[in-house]
Amino acid sequence: MQTEATLAQSDVSELDLVKRCQAGDTEAFDELVTRYRTRVFGMIYNMVHSEQDAWDLAQDSFLKAWKSIGRFRGQSSFYTWIYRIVMNVTIDWLRKKKIKGGDAEFDDAIQLREIDPASKTVPKTEALPHQAMERDEIRARIEKAIGQLSPEHRAVILMKEIDEMQYHEIAEALGCSIGTVMSRLFYARKKLQSLLRDVYENV
Amino acid sequence: MKTFEEKWTAWLDDQLSGRELSEFEASLPDKAAAQAEKAEAKKLGELLKRELSAHPLKNEEFFSHQLRERIVQESGEQRRERARRSPTSSWWTIPRLLWAGTASLAVFLICTVFVMHQERPAEESQYLTQILNARVDPVVSPNATVSIFEVKQDRVTVLWTEGLQTLPADYAAK
Repeated sequence: MQTEATLAQSDVSELDLVKRCQAGDTEAFDELVTRYRTRVFGMIYNMVHSEQDAWDLAQDSFLKAWKSIGRFRGQSSFYTWIYRIVMNVTIDWLRKKKIKGGDAEFDDAIQLREIDPASKTVPKTEALPHQAMERDEIRARIEKAIGQLSPEHRAVILMKEIDEMQYHEIAEALGCSIGTVMSRLFYARKKLQSLLRDVYENV
Repeated sequence: MKTFEEKWTAWLDDQLSGRELSEFEASLPDKAAAQAEKAEAKKLGELLKRELSAHPLKNEEFFSHQLRERIVQESGEQRRERARRSPTSSWWTIPRLLWAGTASLAVFLICTVFVMHQERPAEESQYLTQILNARVDPVVSPNATVSIFEVKQDRVTVLWTEGLQTLPADYAAK
């Protein structure tokens, strides 16, 4: 757990890194990428449910951040700022994918159902094979349920529940009001509760 | 004024307190059902957190390497693009184009006014011409016309008559 002093120190160094980036220092940007790449990738993966797409979208997001770092004024944290870029890129991609008609099923969800229990492709885990399978099924159910939400509702519920972001941080990242965030959370939760009730009641 | 959805969300996330909390809870028609739904929402949150939070980025170093390559590539392309455009397009920036357009328009208007001013005297004839009513008998002189020309500068007046047998005695130019 971070103390206030270390938190302040990391904030200062983050601002310092941003200033160096604004002066064209790519090594400073590399340091910022190292800090946030896992969180950014994880968030995008939960939105799109495909490793390859999440990889590409995370790359695009960081590249866009590098190009527009000059416009970052430090009014919010760097993380909130980059989240806004990530969300714009990802939501835009999801909308385009939906228009193209490619949103019927997620690739990884299909793969999970097609895994042969006896196959060597089953991830090596501490859990027993039947437990791993059961977990994969639960995960596939969750991903499918999230896939039924609109991109904006997905973003809100994932930022709140997975990243534990505050309402105002989510609002900043999505460029909407706090009231809109709370309203979207309300409907996203209702929808997921109706789709996943049997899962969270039986786990 | 918060909507019901906003209050409900804030209540689920334990963000309501004091008077707002008591007022909201008092407004619930079935508090036991609401509490059960709150517990369900917590379970849902825990499930999502447990199942979705651990999706690692594989090949982290390659991710950064690829990004560095793309940044270098993009920067190079941008520099080349700027260099390609700089001799011609840098001078003709939008403000300069606007200035050039405004100046051209002003020159055009000045020339137009000048030319119109020059042409105005030419438009006015140096003659004043009047077609006079010929008080003649149309039976005697059916094609008679009487005109008067006056040269303004020279103060000369010419009376021009055609088709008249005789000039009427009571003729008067008006």
